Amino acid sequence: MSGQAGGLRIWVIAERASAGGLRRVTSELAAKAATLAQGGLVTVVEVTGERVSTVAAAAALAERAGTAAPDLILVGATPTGRDVGARLAATLKQAYLSECTDVRPADGSVEADRVLYAGKVRATVRTALPAVCSVRPNAFPLPDGAAEPSVTAVAAAADERLTFVRSEASAASGTRVPLAEARVVVAGGRGLRGPENWVGVEELADSLGAALGASRAVTDAGWRPNEEQVGQTGRTVSPDLYIALGISGAIQHLAGMTSSKVIVAVNKDPDADIFKVCDYGVVADLFTFLPAFTAAVKQAKA
Amino acid sequence: MKIVACVKQVPDSTTKIKVAADARSIVTEGVTWSISPYDEYAVELALEHKDGDPATTVSAVSVGPARAKDALRQALAMGCDDATLITGEGAERASAGDISAALKGAIDLLKPDLVVCGKQASDDDQGLVGPALAALLGWPHVALVTKFAAAAGGIEIWTEVEGGHEVWKATGPVVLTVQKSAKEPRYPSLPGIMKAKKKEIPEHPFVAADGPRIEILKLEPPPQRGAGKILKDGDPAALATQLVTLLRDEAKVL
Repeated sequence: MSGQAGGLRIWVIAERASAGGLRRVTSELAAKAATLAQGGLVTVVEVTGERVSTVAAAAALAERAGTAAPDLILVGATPTGRDVGARLAATLKQAYLSECTDVRPADGSVEADRVLYAGKVRATVRTALPAVCSVRPNAFPLPDGAAEPSVTAVAAAADERLTFVRSEASAASGTRVPLAEARVVVAGGRGLRGPENWVGVEELADSLGAALGASRAVTDAGWRPNEEQVGQTGRTVSPDLYIALGISGAIQHLAGMTSSKVIVAVNKDPDADIFKVCDYGVVADLFTFLPAFTAAVKQAKA
Repeated sequence: MKIVACVKQVPDSTTKIKVAADARSIVTEGVTWSISPYDEYAVELALEHKDGDPATTVSAVSVGPARAKDALRQALAMGCDDATLITGEGAERASAGDISAALKGAIDLLKPDLVVCGKQASDDDQGLVGPALAALLGWPHVALVTKFAAAAGGIEIWTEVEGGHEVWKATGPVVLTVQKSAKEPRYPSLPGIMKAKKKEIPEHPFVAADGPRIEILKLEPPPQRGAGKILKDGDPAALATQLVTLLRDEAKVL
């Protein structure tokens, strides 16, 4: 089935942002798949239906994959994408490589880079095609001016065993970009002294179009919601720019953010571990530096 | 309600992980082992339900080498009713496919209403066992669960989504893969530890399953980041201007 002349059949599973358009990671994967297919066929598939569970989505995709027989299925490693990918791989009895940072299909198998032990180890792994890979957002560049790919709809059937009841919005959630997909993350730690001081953090984040992150100490204290936690037992992020404000740099936190392209750390303790991994460190009092920094960013962006 | 909690023993999150000389495995000497953090949250979720409904039983199951008994002992000390270890040749390096097949064998015998496990284990970080187990059982699963509660004709399940939660209702048996929640896993009590010591932990034989294999070609530590530029001289406005200039002109991220 795989490795035949004429290139690879690659599926990209589409995910839609709440605003309506395809998520950036879907377009990133479609652009990458076009370079991997080598004359084969790239199909961007989207599950359609009202309030479809990830289980029903995977079942619909598995049924279609049974006849379309893609060699490689790529899905964004978003919370939903990871889950659909895992269930789909299990249903198809194919290997599942999760949270890949690169995928290199060749000669009937696929090699991938991924991280283990919550970011403490990098791995190169290989499995036979066909296979399913979830790929981290920002792993592949989105070519400038890339058009949104056209999608093939796959209708999901309702599953009476698991039905949607209601949504509950979290109080702290706003309209910011999701943490997993953000190009810029502004994260706060215990150095901010209390949840009331996040006003300044949010102002900086908004001036940069950034997502908000937090250290475990902060989410455990209830200053910020759990979904903002970066590090082990939180999210692993690799944005272009990560700004750590008042974060000392515990090993569990570092594991979740050291693959960021540029790291900025602001801390008043010159011996803080975070300074060992940063590209730019500022030893300063947060409460006087933060407003000055936000003002300088706004001026630079104006 | 009858609940099975699946737990995996992994290096404790504070442990420094060293890649072994073969560059395909990690050094296990000197590693402190514990229950994978998300599995601990899963046990907590099950025990919370038991707190509110004494008729509930919670059985812990693990697939792994002999040392994984310590993880089960910890689950018993937290308050699980019984524990089963699936172990034998090959259990230490079992794939997600092997583990889910082995768990299915135990679950077929225990016949629970609900299975909980962590959303992923903190060693391979794959996030496959829960969904794969549910697929083998022919059950639905819900991922990133932070809470569940009995409701008319089934259970209601809170799953974390970007910007909040969704509530879903399962009308029959279901697998929940558990996300960290505000409720921290309980510490074992002293009487709990004493009771756990006395409990038998039966062993079932581990058998590797058929299925796709993932080969590790190479493991390496993350690249060391060089020491960065440290700015410390000047008033806040001067430092801010220096930083913005560096981010814009040198790092080119603004």
